Amino acid sequence: MELPAADATPPLIHVAIVEDDLGFRRALTEAIESAQNIRLAGIARTRAEGLRMLLSAPADVLLVDLGLPDGSGIDVIKAAVQQWSSCSVMVATNFGDETHVIRSIEAGASGYLLKDSSPAKIVDEIRSLASGGSPISPIIARQVLARFRQGGTGGASQTIGSGETPQLLSAREKEVLELITKGFTAPEIARLMSLSPFTVRSFVRRIYSKLNVTSKAEAIYEARNQGILGG
Amino acid sequence: MKPEIRGFWAGSAARVATAQEVAKPDRPLRPFSAFAALIFSLALLAALGAFLSLAVSGIQRADECLHLTQASWQEVASSGFSAPPASLDSRSLPDEWRATALPLSLHAASPANAHRIIWVRLSVTGPQSVTESLALYGARLKTDGPVALYVNGKLVYRGQQRGQQWNSLFTPLWVPLEPGVSEAPVREILVRLEHTAQYPVAVSSLWLGPADALRGRYQTRQWLQQGLPAMLNAAFLAVGVFALFVWFKRKHEPGYLLFFNLAVIAFAAHLHYYVDLPIANDWFGWLVVNSLCWLLTVGHFFLRLLHGRPLRWLSRGMIAAPVLIGVATMPVSWALPNTQFMLAVIYALELMMAMVVGLVGGICTWRSSREGRLVVVAVAICVLLGVSDWMMHNNVVSPEGWFLGAYTNGVTFIFFGLLMYRRYMHAIEEVERVNASLAERLRLREVELEQSHQRLREIEQRQLLSDERQRLMQDMHDGLGSTLISAIRSVEQGRMGDTEVSQILKDCMDDLKLAIDSMEPVEADLLLLLATLRFRLEPRMEGANVALVWDVGELPPLDWLDPSSALNILRIVQESVANILRHTRATVIRVATAAESAGVQVIIEDNGQGFDVATALWRSTGRGLQNQQRRAQAIDGRVDWKSGDTGTRFTLWLPLQRGI
Repeated sequence: MELPAADATPPLIHVAIVEDDLGFRRALTEAIESAQNIRLAGIARTRAEGLRMLLSAPADVLLVDLGLPDGSGIDVIKAAVQQWSSCSVMVATNFGDETHVIRSIEAGASGYLLKDSSPAKIVDEIRSLASGGSPISPIIARQVLARFRQGGTGGASQTIGSGETPQLLSAREKEVLELITKGFTAPEIARLMSLSPFTVRSFVRRIYSKLNVTSKAEAIYEARNQGILGG
Repeated sequence: MKPEIRGFWAGSAARVATAQEVAKPDRPLRPFSAFAALIFSLALLAALGAFLSLAVSGIQRADECLHLTQASWQEVASSGFSAPPASLDSRSLPDEWRATALPLSLHAASPANAHRIIWVRLSVTGPQSVTESLALYGARLKTDGPVALYVNGKLVYRGQQRGQQWNSLFTPLWVPLEPGVSEAPVREILVRLEHTAQYPVAVSSLWLGPADALRGRYQTRQWLQQGLPAMLNAAFLAVGVFALFVWFKRKHEPGYLLFFNLAVIAFAAHLHYYVDLPIANDWFGWLVVNSLCWLLTVGHFFLRLLHGRPLRWLSRGMIAAPVLIGVATMPVSWALPNTQFMLAVIYALELMMAMVVGLVGGICTWRSSREGRLVVVAVAICVLLGVSDWMMHNNVVSPEGWFLGAYTNGVTFIFFGLLMYRRYMHAIEEVERVNASLAERLRLREVELEQSHQRLREIEQRQLLSDERQRLMQDMHDGLGSTLISAIRSVEQGRMGDTEVSQILKDCMDDLKLAIDSMEPVEADLLLLLATLRFRLEPRMEGANVALVWDVGELPPLDWLDPSSALNILRIVQESVANILRHTRATVIRVATAAESAGVQVIIEDNGQGFDVATALWRSTGRGLQNQQRRAQAIDGRVDWKSGDTGTRFTLWLPLQRGI
């Protein structure tokens, strides 16, 4: 139970943004400025600006759009995981569709934000992410389950070095994902499994990081394989 | 080649191999290994030959042996065949000796049916070993009566006591001299040959020497005149039996049976070279005379099979002649008498038949079939061998020569072996060719198949794309499009406030999100679809202050759940929830599922004020309900409303299986 105590003054959350769309940038700025304890630490409009921003002091939450004018936000996510290791990365998406979200999570993102969310929702998501929680949708939960099922049986993972051993989901993590695919919300799942809603969201965060490790291991394995084939 | 011959032997026995067999041939020996195997085999044979020839290498000790080539002889009349006395002094014989060189060949003289005795006296001078056992060897003594041999006046050997035997002429003379006899040096050898007047007697030169030194000569002659031909004879028969078994499996190819027939008859015809039965007018003699004739008949039919021409009259003749000769020569009282003259006539007839068969066969096959030519050459060689035998029989050539007729079977065997070799090689090449073309055809077929698959896939892909486009178009047209158009119009006419516009656009966004969700793979999971819907509608529910009770349970998979039907389901449920939010003042919405034997139910209940279903459906404003009905029908489902003052219960029923 790591629920932050309600009475204690919550720590300040520094938010950085990499987004080329002026409208969404403005909506974000407004939402952040209206909220307490959240500060806008930096704004980048392109991939290059985003990468440059990573050289400055790290923020707590980084919001990244994937479709940047000079490249993919995925690169920014990957760089942020390296350079701002304490920062939680969040991808901004129109639809929260599986392809975009899973790709970002595999690159190291911890969550996503639907661009049409209300200001209150935006602030909620930023707070939740900053405190170690992650959002998930049923379709993404199903996709994650499928990924781990493949990884568990695939021969590719057998020869991967111990440092990048693909991890398996724990029984409780799997249970959470399955309940999500059945349409239950985090508070409902918390009730069903006798957990706090926050714990459910932190479960999701853990699952995401496992997915990130597994995909890294697969990438290394793949590269090694191609190296052998190439040589 | 003529069609009826093509199937003969292995010619058409081409086996059809599968593509895999073609792709993976037997691993051949590497050149070095093959060379080594060949050298080893040849060396083994050479070593065996050398060893055996050394074992019989008495020839190399020729200087220890005496070659007796000078003799004197005389002929006396006798009243019939008689037993030779145990000892005989040559001086008791009439002193009418005539000197001669050996070999000695005499010619038949009249009168017939008289019996004679020929005496041949050989004086032996020269050094003789007394420490070793001596032996006497000669190529042959040729007579039709008993034979006796005296050394120093003592009887040492008696042969042909029952008269001439079938193998007598082919068996060389070998007389080991008993130690008791050879203690004293041999000074005189006397040969006593009884015969009938018309029989051409012949005496070869004789060798006297240590048995070990002479045995090589004797065994070499014995093996070449009898052993080797017998081996070839047996081998030919064995190959014939092989052909018979082939014929059992391939009854439509008479060549195999004919070959077996040929082998059996040839075996019978040459058996007399190895049988020590006395020559007599019996069934064996009949067989010897007739089998030669049958051999010619089979040879003719064989040639006919090769050149493929019927030659009706010749064939009839070739059947009639053996039957006539067979009946005429039967060893029974009513048949023709067995005289030398009759025998000559029959042999002449058979020679004529052989020439006709060879000639006609040669003419017919020379152009068309190389195999036929081979057979004709074989027949010709056999005829020549027969002629050489005849010359031996009639003392035309030296009695120390060879009866080459014994090799007739060997020649036949070699030539048919050649024929089989050709067939076999041809068959193998044919199989390889067929396999290669089969593999090529298979490859082409695979390419073709791949192409047609490709085309099918493309068509399918196009169809899929077109279906998908149509579905999205329909959806955009009905929902998003019309909503946006009415919103634009309202905004332009200034009839709409910002909040309303925002609300309409939010609705549009929801529509769009659901359309995108419908394209995610849900894998037959209706619950996942409902979960997605809930996830999308959650913000609006929260905004409307309506509590959602999520009361779903496990559902069987719906295998027919494709993007199109998924969108229909999403729209039906979305409309239902939207109706509740829009038209009722409900505070609680309950979503539940239920599984039945033939389908599943999605139930949506609210605690709003309810509405009159029939009126709502009938009114034009009830387009939402009608849309739900239409969409449900499109996926073989149905919708139902039960509404009262305390709430409405909406049910969507979906089948487990959809009509095929």
